Amino acid sequence: MLRKITFLALLCAIFSGSLSAQNYVVSVHGIVCELCSLGVAKKLRKLSFIDPSKYDEGVKVDINNQLVYLAVREDAALDKTVLFDAIEAGGYQPIEIWAIDSAGEKLEVSQ
Amino acid sequence: MKGVLYLLLLVGACNTALAHQPVMDMAPRWNNGYGIQTRTEHANSTTTQWLEGVYTFKPSVRMTFKLPYADGEFGDAIVAVPIKHYKNAGGFTSSWGLTPSVAMPTGGGSDWDTGLSLSYSAETASLFQLYDVYTLGDKTGLDVNIGPVYADGNGSSLFTLWDVTAVDSASGQRILTGPVLMYFKRNVVVRFEYKMPLLDNDNEWDGDFISAGIGIVY
Repeated sequence: MLRKITFLALLCAIFSGSLSAQNYVVSVHGIVCELCSLGVAKKLRKLSFIDPSKYDEGVKVDINNQLVYLAVREDAALDKTVLFDAIEAGGYQPIEIWAIDSAGEKLEVSQ
Repeated sequence: MKGVLYLLLLVGACNTALAHQPVMDMAPRWNNGYGIQTRTEHANSTTTQWLEGVYTFKPSVRMTFKLPYADGEFGDAIVAVPIKHYKNAGGFTSSWGLTPSVAMPTGGGSDWDTGLSLSYSAETASLFQLYDVYTLGDKTGLDVNIGPVYADGNGSSLFTLWDVTAVDSASGQRILTGPVLMYFKRNVVVRFEYKMPLLDNDNEWDGDFISAGIGIVY
């Protein structure tokens, strides 16, 4: 029983760590051109929870893998609905978002 | 090959200005985006300066204008409303476009011409292609751009395209072809194209076509 409780506590600690991650990646279908993706970056940079001190004013677009990297302010929470609406307003289709650690490794997936 | 040429002649084409939309056929594809570009065209011993702009209401609806200036006078301004349907799938994006247009008699005269364009473009991170069939006034045409794209992953890309332009108008038919180079860095785009006649039965056309332009989007 004690081992189960310890395991659950450890699991909670891991997940609470992932939730506090401040960098995220969004997979975005069709984002293959840096000029055309300027609108996505422009819309995202206007969001209140974006941290402009990281990446390129808080946003980095990887057109070779159709990924958008985001830095979120430490005192703010990412709003997925607002985020996806901004990407659609930028002309593209967001598919999936996940948190990454400082090394860029995937922490969590949420559909 | 002969069949393809015949097809090109059937659909015809007019000059580059009528086929392409600012900014450089690409941007902006985002809500409330806008851009402006200017191009210098040299053909038929005449140099024409084009001032062109675009406003994108949303990715599927935008409005464009083009105003030519040559020999000390403004020509007929063209206003168009490109309607686009985008499809995004993984590392591929494509769009169908239907573009009604009107040429206003700002260059004198009293005739208003209407036009319509049907276009398809498709793009991956390494390949761009655009096909545009259009008609405006007495001109009908096809314009094709296709070629590889080299992105540096740091906000700039070089497009090395090949252009085929076919034209059918009251003065005859022509097919021009040649290279297009387009380069952008962040929101600034430059484009250069040179085309030579592959076929020329056009009484009002003579020689090569050269165009150089620069645009910016916000």
